[in-house]
Amino acid sequence: MSEFSTIGRPIAFVDAAEKTTGHGKYTDDLSMPGMLIGKVLHSPHPHARIKSIDTSRARALPGVVAVVTGQDAPTTYGILPIGHDEHALALDKVRYVGDNVACVAAVDEATAEKALALIDVEYELLPAWFDPEQSMRAENDFVHENRPRNIEKEYHHTFGDPDKGFAEADYVAEARYIANEVTHAAMEPHSTLAAFELDPHTGKPGRLTVWSSTQVPYYLQHKLSLVLDIPMSRIRVIKPLVGGGFGGKSEVIPLEITAAIAARAAHAPVKITYTREEVFWAHRGRPRTIIDLKTGAKNDGRIVAAAARVIQDGGGYCSYGPVTILYSGALLGALYDIPNVRYDGYRVLTNKPACGAMRGHGTVNVRFAFESQLDEIAAALKLDPAEVRCRNLLKPPCVTVNGLRVLSYGLPECIDKVVAASDWTEKRARPVQASEKLDLKPVSEGHGFSRAEEVSHLCHSERASAREEPAGRNPAADGRRRGVGIACSHYVSGAANSIIRSDMPHSTVNLKVDRDGGVVAYTGAAEIGQGSDTMTAQIVAEVLGCDLARVKVVAADTDLTPIDLGSYSSRVTFMNGNASLRAAEDVKKKIASAAARRLDCAVADVVFRGDKVFRQGAENVARAPSPAVDRPPGAADDVARSSSSAVKAQGRVEGQILRGSVQQKRRNEDEGSRDWMSFEEAVVAAIDFSGALTGTGSYAPPAEARGGQFKGAGVGPSPAYSYSAQVAEVSVDEETGEVTVHKIWAAHDCGRALNPVAVEGQVIGSVWMGLGQALEEEMIWKDGLLMNPGLLEYRSPSAAESPEIECMIVESIDPEGPFGAKEAGEGSLAATIPAISNAIYDAVGVRLREVPFTPERVLAALRAKKGEKKLNMTRDVDPTAPATFPEHGGALCFKGKGPARHPLDVARADVARAPSPAEGDD
Amino acid sequence: MSLPDFQLLRPRTVAEATELLAKHAANAQIVAGGTDLIPSLRQRLFAPRFLIDLRAIVDLRGIRARDGGLDIGALTTLTTIERSPEIAQKYPVLHQAAKTVASPLLRNMGTIGGNICLDTRCLWYNQSLQWRQSCGFCIKKDGDLCHVAPGGSKCWAAFSGDTPPALLCLEAEIEIAGPQGTRRVPLSEFYTNVGDARMKLQNNELLTRVLLPVRTAGWSGVYRKLRIRGSIDYPLAGIAVVLKRSNRHVADARVAITAVNPAPLLVKGVARALAGREVNEEIALQVGELAARTAKPLTTSALTPEYRREMIRVFTKRAVLEAAAIDQSLPRAQPRGPSTVD
Repeated sequence: MSEFSTIGRPIAFVDAAEKTTGHGKYTDDLSMPGMLIGKVLHSPHPHARIKSIDTSRARALPGVVAVVTGQDAPTTYGILPIGHDEHALALDKVRYVGDNVACVAAVDEATAEKALALIDVEYELLPAWFDPEQSMRAENDFVHENRPRNIEKEYHHTFGDPDKGFAEADYVAEARYIANEVTHAAMEPHSTLAAFELDPHTGKPGRLTVWSSTQVPYYLQHKLSLVLDIPMSRIRVIKPLVGGGFGGKSEVIPLEITAAIAARAAHAPVKITYTREEVFWAHRGRPRTIIDLKTGAKNDGRIVAAAARVIQDGGGYCSYGPVTILYSGALLGALYDIPNVRYDGYRVLTNKPACGAMRGHGTVNVRFAFESQLDEIAAALKLDPAEVRCRNLLKPPCVTVNGLRVLSYGLPECIDKVVAASDWTEKRARPVQASEKLDLKPVSEGHGFSRAEEVSHLCHSERASAREEPAGRNPAADGRRRGVGIACSHYVSGAANSIIRSDMPHSTVNLKVDRDGGVVAYTGAAEIGQGSDTMTAQIVAEVLGCDLARVKVVAADTDLTPIDLGSYSSRVTFMNGNASLRAAEDVKKKIASAAARRLDCAVADVVFRGDKVFRQGAENVARAPSPAVDRPPGAADDVARSSSSAVKAQGRVEGQILRGSVQQKRRNEDEGSRDWMSFEEAVVAAIDFSGALTGTGSYAPPAEARGGQFKGAGVGPSPAYSYSAQVAEVSVDEETGEVTVHKIWAAHDCGRALNPVAVEGQVIGSVWMGLGQALEEEMIWKDGLLMNPGLLEYRSPSAAESPEIECMIVESIDPEGPFGAKEAGEGSLAATIPAISNAIYDAVGVRLREVPFTPERVLAALRAKKGEKKLNMTRDVDPTAPATFPEHGGALCFKGKGPARHPLDVARADVARAPSPAEGDD
Repeated sequence: MSLPDFQLLRPRTVAEATELLAKHAANAQIVAGGTDLIPSLRQRLFAPRFLIDLRAIVDLRGIRARDGGLDIGALTTLTTIERSPEIAQKYPVLHQAAKTVASPLLRNMGTIGGNICLDTRCLWYNQSLQWRQSCGFCIKKDGDLCHVAPGGSKCWAAFSGDTPPALLCLEAEIEIAGPQGTRRVPLSEFYTNVGDARMKLQNNELLTRVLLPVRTAGWSGVYRKLRIRGSIDYPLAGIAVVLKRSNRHVADARVAITAVNPAPLLVKGVARALAGREVNEEIALQVGELAARTAKPLTTSALTPEYRREMIRVFTKRAVLEAAAIDQSLPRAQPRGPSTVD
């Protein structure tokens, strides 16, 4: 039997039934009497000054209750204190096609849409910036006047002595990598319902309640307070079920404030739900990124220096930009032991929708570049890529060169697991003679763990890897070549320094225990599908030794739940988990001291287990009657059965409420001292003693984990880091360039898997999302116009081409995590893209430096390698040596002539189009 | 956007339908499966006053044997076609093409008639009203210029149905009902190759049936589709190949391509290139060249035109080889009836 009762078991999410049966209510399912529908007018121009807005015709339309514009809420806001540059509705300027201009609240959607067409906006067009490198050279017409050269933020970090490092290197690789823009594509579009209660004294709109699909209810409450100028105490934010966030809902999205402004103006509840196109404009996805990367290594594969210059095309607003660009640098050199690192990061403004946080925030694109280059170095030095990674491991506990404290480090085990499970050696190498196998010597033993077998395994593959060009191998009968690639990644378990720069706890959880043993956990953590409510319930049940079904979680309602910073940067399990643990310990202490008197033992000898409380040593007595606990975990029906038996186990103590506890007490005294008591009895004993049974716990990261003192040191430090290694097996069709991923082996160090099925779900989801970015997903732009603002043309992988993903959980048991747990939701994503690109190289010998690896890019690279007829890609982009971002090949003409022009055509407004710096193609 | 206001009309017979069409011709739109039309209505590509829903016309559903060939009602769903053993056996290329359309859920709704009459597609056209306003509209809808071929006056929106190239290869005919009764036309004469006036169907006419001739029954066939995603996607290029063999040689053959022109097109010269010959890599590649020359892909969809044309070449070569191989390895039952026409 495991040392735990509830954690470590595959448990169905507490909201699983609601979601799978369609009973669950998401924000757009909500409705109120008298509710109006809000629709937003968006800018058709990428960059323009608003000369005037006339809403009178729209207001006159029957059914329209209110029309609001930027003037109704002129205060700027932004998720970062240093980046308050947004208006919910534009005040003077629009900065991308889709920027928010006005909002109509009307009796129904059709009326609101009709009214939008009646709003007259006069624009003065401005030159627009689309390419980040051009934008950085701007001398005027800046996206934001207070950001010269359109640079939102730049950071220049040097750790160690990179110049010396490169001088000592035996081999230096250098290349430009380009990652195109991707977005979250969460299933649920953003939706917000805002309603005011009338103030009893003035009759004017008073308290505000907002239901919203958000990952950050408390930040939303704060920004609403700021923009609407209402105290936070008079704003209640409730997060209903959320259909996925992935970072796209981790900051305040314009509709959330717009709905409240419109509700205030209309004196009625207003709901806004974005169309999919509007979701693409709200965006906050992963910016397209240029990475100029240089890595130096010794002949044995040891990395001596790395230098990166990273440019991120951040779009029209700050958003999380400075954090993204800092993560890109902070996590660059912290996965491995790299003594010398230089990082130059530029977050650039352009006239496109704002980028923000997206799963694997900041690390994904740079990790793609680094892991690809590491593969290149391994090939050049004739080393096994897996072994090169093993030779550069950190030696924890340690502090990385940029000041990140690492306590638990499961990366070596992750590498070993994927290497073993994928038959890495056999797949990469020619068949090895039996006699060679006898001749193995283990390499470095310095990883701080015992793994003799795996080491010899790697050593073996190293010998076999001294071989010719990869493209000579594996010709398959179907004209496809197979290959395998490996890559690693890591991620934070929450930021050690909160973005609001406050010393308050990052998470707080309150518990209340009722007389019948029901436990209510009040947590501000936002369940967005990742399983945070289940995690809270599990930790509480584990600590209290009670049945999981006793625990009800009340989450993410700012009137009821204590402050939690939200669901982003993979912080919830670590931080909210620790707060849950402490809250439960708090309650447990109170129950234990009451129970100790009854059990006639010391408080320290009271044990909570199996929905019972007993004196230490009396486990056997206590365990026998509870069927829910002893069953081995794993069986699929185990989950269902344990929860149904748990319901039975929750029966009341006889007469506890009607006849009061006096009788209960008397009966117990009659029976004299006992070895054990039921959980309810113990709870009643504690309540009778203290009057109410509540507890609280909170978590703030320790000072040692908060990083260095240099400018920008605040981003990157985390109390703990997750680690991932992956092997991808692909085949490439050399005639078409199509890449098929056959299987991905993914090992993830999550500290401890509190709920293994949830961890696997998160890892598989991350790998799948990485697969999408690697092969298919790409936002295609033409002069700031998004060519594919829908899920038909923005292609997330379908089930048809999704490979088998074998997930292996590695448990490094972090000393500070709740029961040793770390993050599981994001860290795996970044390894998938380079694992696939490395596998493509292994299969056909082309090194793709532009992601995604669409078939045309792969074919163009293959053609170039073979010196065959060149495949003309748009603007002669070479995916093995990309220079700039590709643009869609059509023509964007604002002007034309002829009688057939549509009345809404912007060209009819007779506005002179200012010359755009990007003009001239086609 | 929400759906525009319209009145839904539900005829129960073809006669009722043609009557309604005659009455409302200019202001009506026909809906069958709705998988293409409904999103287009939301994007305001159409704003009809009347929507004539054909789904109550039971007569137009189902597959019937006729003169050794098959007669497919226009309302027959793509799923029904995909699962029909007769089609799989006699017209394998149609079976394959139907199987690749969109996704299983969409095939449950989408009909063969709808797939034949599918609107042409373009990245500059299949967008919301707001989006099209931002780019100044285009020649196909509300505007006067083409973003794909600037300066030209022709619309290049690509026909992107999967089944029509298969039907062209099979020499299918279609039956059209109108005010003057019904007429039959070869499918090859139905399309115009003009993106904004894609088919020769008057606004008071209705496609009612697809007729597959006995002549091409039993020909081996292959459909190949270029797409990025393994499901859901429209073709970015598609090719259908059918072969009739006599002993080891090709007796007759057809190749048709889709998604790379404003119409699905039969490739000229294929029968001449293949007839009387034994298929090998070199000959297959020659046919691929013919197909690639017929293709005129432009930037109407994802992937570059150069790549899509290249794939027409590669896919055709492979499909020809595969069709020849299928024929060799799996001798099929000879179709009954007068099969000596060739």
